[in-house]
Amino acid sequence: MSEAKIGVKRPRGKARLIEGRCIACGGRCESACPVDAVEMSGSGEPEIVASKCIGCVKCVKVCPAQALEVVFTDEEKRILERLATESGADAEVDPEAQALADKLAAYRGVWVFVEQTEGEPARVSWELMGKGRELADTLGVPLSAVVVGSHVEELCYHSFCYGADQAYLVDEPVFRHYRTEAYLKAVCRLIENYKPEIVLMGATGLGRDLAGAVATVVGTGLTADCTGLGIDDRRNLMQTRPAFGGNIMATIMCDKFRPQMATVRPHVMPLPERVEGKSGPVIRVASGVVEEEILTKVLAVVSDRNKDHVDVAGAEFIVSGGRGMMGKENFVLLQELADELGGVVGASRSAVDAGWMPHERQVGQTGKTVRPKIYIACGISGAIQHLVGMQDSDLIIAINRDPDAPIFEVAHLGIIGDLFQVVPALTERLRNMKQKAPEDAICSNG
Amino acid sequence: MSPNPKLFAVLLLLSASAFVIGCYRRFSLVALGRPEDRLDAPGTRFSRMLRLAFGQQRVLGKPFGMNHFVIFWSFIILAAANAEFLVSGLAPQVSLAALPVPLQHALLFLFDLVSMAALVCVLVAFARRLFFAEPSLSSDYVKARSPEAFLILSLIALLMLAYFGLHAARIAAGIEDPAAMPVSAFIAANLVAPLAIDPATLAVWSWWLHALALLSFLAYLPQSKHMHILTAIPNCFLAGLERPNTQPREEFTRGGRFGAGRVDEFTWKDLFDSFSCTECGRCQDACPAAGTGKSLNPRSVIHALKTNLLANGASLRAGDAPPQPLIAASETGAGAGEGSAAENAIWACTTCGACMSVCPVLIEHMPKIVKMRRHLVQMKASFPEELATFFENVEARSNPWGIAPTERTKWHANLQVRPFEQGKTEYLLYVGCAGAYDARQKQVTVALAAILDAAGVSWGTLGKDERCCGDSLRRLGNEYVFDRTARDNVSLLAERGVKKIVTQCPHCFSTLKNDYRQYGMDLDVMHHSELIAGLLASGQLELKQRVADLGRLLFHDSCYLGRHNDVYDAPRQALTAATGSAPAEFARNAERSFCCGAGGGRMWQEEQEGERINLNRVKEALQQEPDTICVSCPYCLTMMEDGLKDLQGGSVRVKDLAEVVVEGLRA
Amino acid sequence: MLVVVCIKQVPDTTQVQIDPVTNTLVREGIPFIVNPYDTHALEEALRLKDRFGFRVAAISMGPPNAEATLKKALALGVDEAILLSDRVFGGADTLATSRVLSEAIDRLNRQEQVGIVICGKQTIDGDTAQVGPGIATRLGYTQLTLVDRIEKFDPFQGRITVRRKLEGRHETVEAPLPVLLTVVRELNRPRYPTVPMRLESEQATVQVWSNQELQLDQNGIGLKGSPTWVSRIFSPQREKGEIVGDGAADPAGAAHLLVDKLVSRDLLVV
Ligand SMILES: Cc1cc2nc3c(=O)[nH]c(=O)nc-3n(C[C@H](O)[C@H](O)[C@H](O)COP(=O)(O)OP(=O)(O)OC[C@H]3O[C@@H](n4cnc5c(N)ncnc54)[C@H](O)[C@@H]3O)c2cc1C
Ligand SMILES: Cc1cc2nc3c(=O)[nH]c(=O)nc-3n(C[C@H](O)[C@H](O)[C@H](O)COP(=O)(O)OP(=O)(O)OC[C@H]3O[C@@H](n4cnc5c(N)ncnc54)[C@H](O)[C@@H]3O)c2cc1C
Ligand code: SF4
Ligand code: SF4
Ligand code: SF4
Ligand code: SF4
Repeated sequence: MSEAKIGVKRPRGKARLIEGRCIACGGRCESACPVDAVEMSGSGEPEIVASKCIGCVKCVKVCPAQALEVVFTDEEKRILERLATESGADAEVDPEAQALADKLAAYRGVWVFVEQTEGEPARVSWELMGKGRELADTLGVPLSAVVVGSHVEELCYHSFCYGADQAYLVDEPVFRHYRTEAYLKAVCRLIENYKPEIVLMGATGLGRDLAGAVATVVGTGLTADCTGLGIDDRRNLMQTRPAFGGNIMATIMCDKFRPQMATVRPHVMPLPERVEGKSGPVIRVASGVVEEEILTKVLAVVSDRNKDHVDVAGAEFIVSGGRGMMGKENFVLLQELADELGGVVGASRSAVDAGWMPHERQVGQTGKTVRPKIYIACGISGAIQHLVGMQDSDLIIAINRDPDAPIFEVAHLGIIGDLFQVVPALTERLRNMKQKAPEDAICSNG
Repeated sequence: MSPNPKLFAVLLLLSASAFVIGCYRRFSLVALGRPEDRLDAPGTRFSRMLRLAFGQQRVLGKPFGMNHFVIFWSFIILAAANAEFLVSGLAPQVSLAALPVPLQHALLFLFDLVSMAALVCVLVAFARRLFFAEPSLSSDYVKARSPEAFLILSLIALLMLAYFGLHAARIAAGIEDPAAMPVSAFIAANLVAPLAIDPATLAVWSWWLHALALLSFLAYLPQSKHMHILTAIPNCFLAGLERPNTQPREEFTRGGRFGAGRVDEFTWKDLFDSFSCTECGRCQDACPAAGTGKSLNPRSVIHALKTNLLANGASLRAGDAPPQPLIAASETGAGAGEGSAAENAIWACTTCGACMSVCPVLIEHMPKIVKMRRHLVQMKASFPEELATFFENVEARSNPWGIAPTERTKWHANLQVRPFEQGKTEYLLYVGCAGAYDARQKQVTVALAAILDAAGVSWGTLGKDERCCGDSLRRLGNEYVFDRTARDNVSLLAERGVKKIVTQCPHCFSTLKNDYRQYGMDLDVMHHSELIAGLLASGQLELKQRVADLGRLLFHDSCYLGRHNDVYDAPRQALTAATGSAPAEFARNAERSFCCGAGGGRMWQEEQEGERINLNRVKEALQQEPDTICVSCPYCLTMMEDGLKDLQGGSVRVKDLAEVVVEGLRA
Repeated sequence: MLVVVCIKQVPDTTQVQIDPVTNTLVREGIPFIVNPYDTHALEEALRLKDRFGFRVAAISMGPPNAEATLKKALALGVDEAILLSDRVFGGADTLATSRVLSEAIDRLNRQEQVGIVICGKQTIDGDTAQVGPGIATRLGYTQLTLVDRIEKFDPFQGRITVRRKLEGRHETVEAPLPVLLTVVRELNRPRYPTVPMRLESEQATVQVWSNQELQLDQNGIGLKGSPTWVSRIFSPQREKGEIVGDGAADPAGAAHLLVDKLVSRDLLVV
């Protein structure tokens, strides 16, 4: 070793917290430290006991926020400089790392789970097929579709059209409805037998239910709700996802385990071009699952579209109207837009007070708190009593003729104009686009 | 003089027993209440008693007030005559006749005239109830109870008539000197003599009539609302010395019970109050909730307490659970009735204090309502749904809307605002939650900042360390969370070395000034209207122009500034200085101002019952044909603006006082 | 029967902000709260207690100061509160977290049979929604995620029927006990603690279990037992408010532009 050569011990330095960087991740640094030199304060930040620290940099490496660094005294720095000039970098070959690499190499290929309900595929599956193609090409491995269900062989062919090289098909009556136990067994058996290196599923209710169970049985890492995927220089999957309520983005690695599993948020990956007439091998696999083993029974599936009861609080799309609607009869305009979006109509208190809408539709401080994917406020000024009820919506769109209306302070997108002209135009545009949309882009919501 | 002392003695004994038992039944129940000190500062209490009880100050303020004034004093004066009557009834040798003649004549003269005055007033009272009943006297509640009122009035009238009969007979018989008693003499001369009534018979009949009327009155008194004859005066003495702008603290120890969920969880004074109510209905007339058709009626709350106490007294004394609940889930549900207050009534109170400011016998309604709220919140966690969100928001994020504390400083995004620094900054500007988060009120904060800067006042803020003052928490009965908020705030203000505070919100103002005093904080707290008025008066704030664009200005008094803290003049002075003329006034203004509907935590609840309070007030405003309604409170601002929009108030605007004054700074 | 609720202490992420200058997370003064979804889980457990008299245990894995979270649960009426705290548990991803939590539930199950475990749908910090399925799978319980209503519950038959809230549809599912539910906000409205319960909970003790009690292999828990790790954290590109088109002069044009924007950003699917 170089230290022996020059007879000086390589200085190690001491770890130190960089002010304001720690995100209180739950004490990764504390767990990583071999000599218990990291103690956690009440606010969840580390305090490094310098007398104990041996400068092993384990905490620095493990910190997701790059909140720790190792500092050297001036004396130490000088020694380091000298060492640097005296010896070249010596590449250490770690036998442990080699064993790991061999283990991981047994896994090959990118899989996309094709989600379906009653035979209808979820759009996100095709989005993933596009992304999966890209990853598979980077790695130089095949892209496989995993299709589980009852009478779903057709989905294998759709998968080829969206870019899959091959498909694994588990097609048995027991899979007619999604039930965790059954699907879990089928997917785990496939993974065990065919050892993929990457498994992607949609971050939908179904996908997250299944992926969490599969990863636990397989004993591998699972990254939730990704919005970005890439491959690093060591063929590992880099998975980027929002956390802390969307306030931060984190890149997650799972480099010591295979397969690397991720659920991916719908609507973030572009839908790939569908190429008709493609085909590939379909590998049929028997699941070994028997109906008697499955204890769960699906009693009913009810689509929200044809529900008479309107639940503003749980709705994913809301079009709300305020005093600017001028009258009860004009809410038809909002209903038409809501119908196009598959959403419901809400209201400000003014509209409710005027008798234009029932109180159950009131959004705000003394009404409902809503968190839809899209909230469209029409003729609503944006009084704080209204804002508190809808400000956590994923996307807020305001339509108001007053450019100074406070609603524009919280809106992500806004149109300054007369709602009686803008709203019908929106509805019409959506309608037209739907008619133009290709028949075959069949997909359920999500 | 008594026709039959023995018979009279028996009757007197019966009547006196009924009186004593009646009184005992009631007063011993008062002792079931929790302890409370109401004997401190006797001097102040005494002079107040003179003014309000003997001077009948609040009674005189109302129509027919003079009537009551006369009856009140007649009662006091005739108490002497009646005492003499009772004594001489038992022992005929003891009577006025034993006094020296001039004194005897003087007294008889007085009694005679006073009796006449009382009789006239009683007849007026009859007429009023029958023919000129004002709204408070025509409610179902009053109608149900008017037989009692008529009975009492009849007894009094009878007493007076018998008195005249007796003395007229004596004059006719030549026993008494007609010169001493003009009224009786008139009757003797014009009725007794011409109708040839036998004076002796008349004397005996009149005497017995008088005796029976008096004894019945005595026996019946404790059962009736006229109990107030006995309790009103002491009640004025015992009433709280503090203004009702704060509530007493609670000790939070394990095993304790908090608030009042049973009648014996009130203090003895609360219970005493319930026996002092004269059922005059003044509180009900003044109450914004009762006036807009809510289930709350302050008089009924007091009455419920009394009824509940009487119904549960025996069980409570025996240490058993009270059979009649104090709080009923709804007006019609289980346990509802005369002896209970409904939950929605309890939540309808805006804590405006109007009821207390008009009650002639100084009954404390609002604190009782808050005590019941304390019980509901703290013991039962039962409150309107909207309040769950409110409580959680204040507890977790320290503001009513649950917005991130880091956004507290956003109002001054485009301004240079310095943090408060001990020793360097004079005033802490306590922005308040509305001033910091509500887009509309932020404009007021900015206006106030501009005024302070123009006047060269040194000011700073606590930035994002500022927290909710806790006003609504306390008024809503969430004393536990208020207690923690207050402790935190008081120690933060002490730590920062704050000496003077200016607020733009009467609720922050009153809470910092009055409630926090209980936590040992005694700072100089000013409402912005006071500071601005002072700066204008001293010339430190010079306006560049007279504010004219806002047209006819109408000023609305905020309850927590006016009634609760007596700040009436400062805002008017500031407006006068800025516009050159005094603002117009509402029909109900100053002490009589009508709440906007937001106080007492009503700001965070939906208003489903009856007419909206803010609409009532805005309608009143529109009668004055203002161009601008001027307010001094963020809640009033919302309420007035919302009300105007609902009523399509056209071009009428609502401005905070600071926004009016800042107009004058524009060149 | 014992009902177990899993609750996590999380930073109040709505208060987390990104420093515009340094582009780092401003965390100073951000309080810790009970994960909002878990308050609904807790409420449902307490309702089962009110209805059937079951005992309720709340468990949480976290640093020692997470005790405050469990005290809140005690103030609301849980019978037992257990904090799983040990430095070897720290730095866990969902796989390692669910291992510790399921072991703790198993331990409780040995004292009194566990019928239902209730978790929140997800947390507001980690946001993964993976811990619930992880626990269910390890314990072999039926997993019912995204529950927005308990339709039927028959403790004697040992069966439960719930409604699940999925994208654009609701699904009614029946399963035998034991089950693990993860719940959404629409399920119920959490109760507010009374003052006597708050005061009581100040005194009540939270049991602390370390790995001494659980005796788990250190390679399967904490940082060591976590296959995933966070390699980098950065702040997202924030969308600022944007006015689309000229709505006054050309309302239809602005409307078209808006729809196109939504579609091109995949915010809307047509
Ligand atoms: C105790 C209390 C509780 C409250 N709770 C709630 C609550 O839960 N929810 C709630 O919403 N409010 C609540 N409010 C009411 C709140 O203060 C506001 O009054 C209300 O939100 C205003 O409703 P609005 O925006 O519809 O009406 P306005 O404020 O009158 O706004 C109408 C808007 O429409 C615009 N407009 C008019 N015509 C057109 C047109 N042709 N095209 C485009 N734009 C047009 C105008 O520019 C204006 O901005 C509460 C108030 C109080 C006092
Ligand atoms: C920025 C960031 C990104 C992360 N990304 C991933 C990732 O992609 N994959 C991954 O495996 N891990 C990830 N983690 C780690 C993960 O946050 C932790 O494992 C955490 O302990 C549990 O995950 P969660 O918060 O997402 O819980 P969720 O799975 O969202 O929680 C669901 C429910 O499980 C219960 N629960 C969860 N944690 C606890 C607990 N500690 N005590 C009691 N009950 C609990 C609660 O009822 C909760 O409502 C990430 C951490 C950070 C800081
Ligand atoms: S550098 Fe190593 S020894 Fe020092 S605190 Fe970090 S992990 Fe512990
Ligand atoms: S690892 Fe980094 S983010 Fe986590 S606690 Fe330690 S310093 Fe903070
Ligand atoms: S305080 Fe105001 S609202 Fe409450 S009872 Fe008295 S008058 Fe009515
Ligand atoms: S409480 Fe006071 S104001 Fe109200 S009715 Fe009784 S005496 Fe009159």
